[in-house]
Amino acid sequence: MIYIIDHNDSFTHNIVHQFSLFDKVECDNYNNVNKAKLKKASIIVFSPGPGNPKDYPITSKIYKEFKSKKKIIGICLGFQQILFCEGAKIVEQKKIYHGFQSSIQVINDKSLFYKGRKFKVGRYHSLKLKEPFKIKNFDITMRCLESNVAMSFENSKDKIYGFQFHPESFLTINGNFLIKKILLA
Amino acid sequence: MNKQNLLADLHHSGKPYIIYKSNKGFNLYTNFSKKIILNKKNIYKFLNKKNINKKCKKTDLFIGFFGYELLNNLIGIKIPKQKNINLPKGIFYKPETKIDLTNNLNYRNGDNIKQKNNFKININKKTYTKIFDKFKKKIKSGETYQIKICTKYKTSSKINPLDFFCRLSKTNLAPEAFMIKDKNYSIISCSPENLITKKSSLITTKPIAGTVKKNKNMNKVKALNFFRKNLKETKEHNMIVDMERNDLSRICKVGSVKLSKKRVVEEYKDLFHCVSLIKGKLKKGIKNIDIIKAMMPGGSVIGCPKISTLNLLNNQEKENRNIYTGSFGYIKFNGDMRFNIIIRSILNFKNISEISVASGVVVDSNAKHEFNENYIKAKALIDLFK
Repeated sequence: MIYIIDHNDSFTHNIVHQFSLFDKVECDNYNNVNKAKLKKASIIVFSPGPGNPKDYPITSKIYKEFKSKKKIIGICLGFQQILFCEGAKIVEQKKIYHGFQSSIQVINDKSLFYKGRKFKVGRYHSLKLKEPFKIKNFDITMRCLESNVAMSFENSKDKIYGFQFHPESFLTINGNFLIKKILLA
Repeated sequence: MNKQNLLADLHHSGKPYIIYKSNKGFNLYTNFSKKIILNKKNIYKFLNKKNINKKCKKTDLFIGFFGYELLNNLIGIKIPKQKNINLPKGIFYKPETKIDLTNNLNYRNGDNIKQKNNFKININKKTYTKIFDKFKKKIKSGETYQIKICTKYKTSSKINPLDFFCRLSKTNLAPEAFMIKDKNYSIISCSPENLITKKSSLITTKPIAGTVKKNKNMNKVKALNFFRKNLKETKEHNMIVDMERNDLSRICKVGSVKLSKKRVVEEYKDLFHCVSLIKGKLKKGIKNIDIIKAMMPGGSVIGCPKISTLNLLNNQEKENRNIYTGSFGYIKFNGDMRFNIIIRSILNFKNISEISVASGVVVDSNAKHEFNENYIKAKALIDLFK
C-alpha cells in the first residue's frame, strides 16, 4: 500500500489517481495521519503543498522515523521537505514557475533514467534547493535545461526519491513512466 | 397567450420566478411550492436528500444558489467577521411550473424608473496596489500560486431586474446566464462558466481562464494565438486545469478523469474566452454533498491551492462576498445537477445594487493592469444603469 501525506494541496488527488494505477493508495491530511496506515504502507509519499518545509514539522518527523525503513517519495514541497530534513536550505528563486512547462534532462549516471534523456514537465514551485548541496547518498539526477535548477534527486541506498516538478500534471509528458520506474526501483 | 406577455405579466404579478439559460433558449421557473433558506446547519439535510430513481418530472428539482460563505463553511473554512448585509447564505426553490422561452427575450420597462449610476468602489487603486503587493510576496514565498482579489461596486437604486436581464441577454448571451426575482432581492447574471454538469454518473466541469475583447482585428484564430503567446494567461489556465482535475479526482474513478478539451477558444458576442473541458466518471457511493464539497467554491475564481488561498482571501476581505463566487443551479430529484459559478452579476438587496469582480494575481501580473481589468469587467454591468 502507498500512503500519501497531503499538505492541503490542490494537486494531491491527481497524484492519488496516478499512483493508484500501480498499487492500492491511501491518502490523509498531514495533521490527520493514521499511525496504523503509516506502519502498513510499503511506500510513503509527501505531497506538494503551499509554504515552506519548516511549516510542516509533523511531516519531518515522519520522514526521520521511516527513513531507510520504507521507500519515501517527495513531490514538489515533498521534494523540498526531504532535502530540508537532510540539512539543505530551501530558498526563494528569482524566476518563479507556476503552471509552467519546462524541459529537463537527466544529468547523472547514477540515475534510474538514462543520462542525457530529456523530459517535458509541469512545474509549480516558488522555492528551490539552495546549491551547492552535498549530502551522502543523495544525488541530484535531473536539472532544468534553462535555469539549471535541481529537478530530481535519488538516493538508491535508502530508496528515497524526489521530484521538484509535478509528474501528475497534464503538462508532464510520460509522468506515469517516471512514477512506475521509481515504484519498481 | 404570447410567451413574452406571459413573462411581463408574471413580472408585474409580483410572484417570484427564475430564468436560467438552456441549450436552445431560456427556462422559466415559477409557482414555487417551497422556499428553503439555507444555513450552515440545514444544508447537510438539504443535500443529503435521497434521490428518486424513477423518471422525474421536469419540475422535480430544487433551483437556487449557494453563497460564498456557505461554501466555505461546508469545507470547514471559517470566515472572520466581515461587513455583512445579511442576505441569506443560500436559497433554493421548488418550482411547480417550467416554461421554455426562446433566446429572444423582449420586455419593455413600463416602470420608467430613472436609474442612478453613481457606483462607488470599495477598494481604491492605492489600497488595491497594497493588497496586490502583499499577495505577490505570498506567491514568492510559496503560500499561494495564484489569488483573485475581489473588488465591489455599489450604488443605491431600485431596479427592474427583468428589464436589466433582457437588455443584458441582448448584448451578452452567456451560457450560464440567470436571473432570480424574489420579493426582497433579485440577481441578474451573465455568468459564462459552468462548474458542474452531472448526469447519472458522468460529471464535467468547464473552467474559463483567459478573456480577450472582440474587435475588428481579433477573430477566433487570432484569439487562440493571443492566448497561446500570452505566458501569464497560459500559466493561469494550466494551473486551473490541474486544480479542476484534482477536484474531480476526489470523487471520480481512478483513470476516468480526462481533459477532453484543452484550451479551446469560445466565441461570445463581445469577447473570446479560453476554456477547457474536464470529464470524469463518479466513484460508487458518491453523494451530491461530496460533489459539492469537492468542487465548490469553483477554483478558477479563487486561486490555487484552494484552502490556503481561501484563508488568505478571507483574512484580507472586509466585506462579505454574498453571492459572488458562489454557485447557482439546480439539483434534480434523480440526483442530476447543473451549477455555474456566480460571476458577472448584479445583486440587488434592500435597494442596493452590488457588482463584484476579481482578477488574478500571479507572479508576473501588474497591479495597475489588473485594477483596470476589474473595471472593464464591471463596466458591462454598470452600463445597464442608464
